[in-house]
Amino acid sequence: MGIYPVALAIFIFGIFAGSLGAMLGLGGGVLMIIFLLLALNIPAHQAVALSLIAVIASSSMGGSVYIKDRMTNLKLAMVLETFTVTGAVAGAFLALSLPVSAIQVLLGCVLFYTSITMFRERKEEGEGAECSGSSPLHGEFYDEQSCATVKYSIKNLKLGAAASLIAGAVSGIVGIGGGVIKVPIMNIVMKIPIKAAAATSNFMVGVTAAASAVVYFQNGLVDLQLAAPTMLGIMIGAYIGTRLLARSRSVVLRRVLAVVLAFFGFVLLLKTGGVLVW
Amino acid sequence: MVMVESLISWVLRIGVFSGATITLIGFFTTPEITWLGVLVLILTPFMRVVMTGIYFLSRRDWAYFSLAIYVIMMLVIGSLLHMF
Repeated sequence: MGIYPVALAIFIFGIFAGSLGAMLGLGGGVLMIIFLLLALNIPAHQAVALSLIAVIASSSMGGSVYIKDRMTNLKLAMVLETFTVTGAVAGAFLALSLPVSAIQVLLGCVLFYTSITMFRERKEEGEGAECSGSSPLHGEFYDEQSCATVKYSIKNLKLGAAASLIAGAVSGIVGIGGGVIKVPIMNIVMKIPIKAAAATSNFMVGVTAAASAVVYFQNGLVDLQLAAPTMLGIMIGAYIGTRLLARSRSVVLRRVLAVVLAFFGFVLLLKTGGVLVW
Repeated sequence: MVMVESLISWVLRIGVFSGATITLIGFFTTPEITWLGVLVLILTPFMRVVMTGIYFLSRRDWAYFSLAIYVIMMLVIGSLLHMF
């Protein structure tokens, strides 16, 4: 196959992954990496590098919207970012010497994990919204839906930092932004309202992916010809997703996608194990 | 704060659009141009950190300013790792 059909396939799938990712808060990296590995048979390291490019594009598109809504907790983002970035650079460096099978097995596990978190209902604010000024990292934002200012304080910062380090490393190895790992941890462990957690995670995801991407980039693993359709497809998709569809939070769609991700996680493991060959 | 935030969202937009435009031009011309476009895209999230760092600096918030410096340092280290 020449480069143009592959580029076109990536472009079209990018639009799909970008819009679905923006709708469901997935970031698009998870879908992109599956497509590159399983549908296009792109070697794992190159696929991870391209997927990171997709993540940077989608988070930068989404970020310009979130920041305007003023939900990003910049201080918290900075604290956790030091851990995710460290993990991201270390993870990407480690991945360079990891065999393809190890990367694919780890990705399979991440897909199962993502599938499980998607089945859980996202809790709206409430339990995290309590006013105590003990932590210097407390935050607040104006919630359009309830027309009220939501204040929250942050719990279990150490655990959150450790999880951020691991999330960074994992995203550097398998080419996802790591939002699927960070958002539940911020929400459930650190008691941050889901909207603030998602916006803060978006800030971190872009920087995390960029820190890993630079390692792949400098090692010549970013396929330059495929970078253009990846970027453009995801950007167009993310634009459509954030503008038109962000408010429709379909539970059915989430569950369908959760099953799809688990299925591909299984397929990926079978392919890595040599049971399925193509 | 509001000014910094809207500035950041503009930087993100400009970064991602110019990165994509340069990359697209490169797709039809030479890989060197694509290389530049990818670099611009990769650096875009870091511009966000740089600007957040400047914001903390302007507020003389040294603790958070140093965190921003650390994050930028990690990028520099990441970009030099291939030499080892």
